[in-house]
Amino acid sequence: MPGTDTPETRAVAAWLAGEMRATSVRIGRYVRLSGGAIQGNFGLDVDVSGGPLAGHHALVLRTDAPSVVAASNSRSQEFAVLRAAHAAGVLAPEPLFICDDRRIIGREFFVMRRIAGVGAGHRIVRDPALVPDGPALARELGANLARIHAIRPPQPGLDVLAPPPADPARAVIAQCRGHLDAMSEPHPALEWGLRWCEIRAPAPADVTLVHRDYRTGNYLVDGGHLSGVLDWEFAGWGDPREDLGWLTARCWRFGAVDLEAGGIAPVAPFLEGYESVAHRTITRADLDYWQVVAHLRWAVIALQQARRHLAGGETSLELALTGRIVHELESEVMHLTGALPR
Amino acid sequence: MSDIPDASNLLATAREVLVKDFLPVLPDELRHAALMIANAMAISAREYRQGEEALRAETARLRVLLESAGPAATGPGAPHDTDPVALRRLLVAAIRAGAFDDPPRNAALVDHLTRSSADWTTISNPKALRGTR
Repeated sequence: MPGTDTPETRAVAAWLAGEMRATSVRIGRYVRLSGGAIQGNFGLDVDVSGGPLAGHHALVLRTDAPSVVAASNSRSQEFAVLRAAHAAGVLAPEPLFICDDRRIIGREFFVMRRIAGVGAGHRIVRDPALVPDGPALARELGANLARIHAIRPPQPGLDVLAPPPADPARAVIAQCRGHLDAMSEPHPALEWGLRWCEIRAPAPADVTLVHRDYRTGNYLVDGGHLSGVLDWEFAGWGDPREDLGWLTARCWRFGAVDLEAGGIAPVAPFLEGYESVAHRTITRADLDYWQVVAHLRWAVIALQQARRHLAGGETSLELALTGRIVHELESEVMHLTGALPR
Repeated sequence: MSDIPDASNLLATAREVLVKDFLPVLPDELRHAALMIANAMAISAREYRQGEEALRAETARLRVLLESAGPAATGPGAPHDTDPVALRRLLVAAIRAGAFDDPPRNAALVDHLTRSSADWTTISNPKALRGTR
């Protein structure tokens, strides 16, 4: 655990003082936060003297892990996305300052406000004290997701993202195949799933901002309500239905498999919340298709996580075990595509 | 029965010591790591017992499947290849080329992949298998 008076915290405090136009910034707490297998997050409490932000602030410093997953955004891209989302009224941490000066902590990072709440998926699906009304939380999650999907290209602040794909469903398939090509071994079940999706790919319709990791475990719940959505490193332009398939996919229900909306509620209240803001109707066929895509994409990411452990110089039991999830994701793809009895 | 405990037996026995004797007295911050270690040991024990047979059965099925798909799915001498990774690579190329799109071939492919993914899920996380919950 890093202390509060190290060369790193002194450098961060001095940099923050400059960004905040303060006379001084004192860091009272600096701890690594749990979660986020891809990025390093540190919680810091700061006392600011002088300038427009004088006072106490609870912040998060977000930086890169030693090795990264392909297709994840850089910190500066993520910062731009957070800015756009926050400005659009999405419940998400307010981004404050970004630093690309590698002399401060050796890596690019940004600082955002810390949101109160519990994020751990296995607690959220099991503890009624945290989520007394699952359907109400699901409605909030749906409405909040629709606010993300109201952000459409072109957006001047988001020209740092890859350009909007002409055919978002096929773009996801092509991206997964590209990642599979970079692996050491072939993965026939995932290839079958991608072929299944390619044959049934929906015609291009809407292209919006998509979060691409909007699920239980990546949002915070405070007092039973949604307080914010985290982990924007995969966000980009795409088919908004991709996010609905991701949140409702069986692999993100944390064992509460009968509650399709992220293990917290049936799917209906989630879709009600979404459709009340989005004015876009989501069909059962949409959910079925994009849930298959979700399992395939998660399997590809899990392979990449395992690769960080095997080849990326980041030995980790957690990453190694993530690689073993691929088998059950393949089984689920076979099941969902109709190969197994439903 | 063997006279000397094999790798699977050692892993299962060591895992029991971890779970019964260590886990209850470990501080909270080490519990998650200990559970991951227990999981890794259980997977390894199952792979030791079942992995070889899963791979052998997959390889045998792959050869039949690739032969049935005809020249589009086979390279030179491919069906006689015994390297499962090489066979999987041929299968992947055939899937991408659409060689398994027509219904009967597709059904044979699905049957193969369903068996393979079930065999490996039985090793990696048997609780995740549908129909066993």
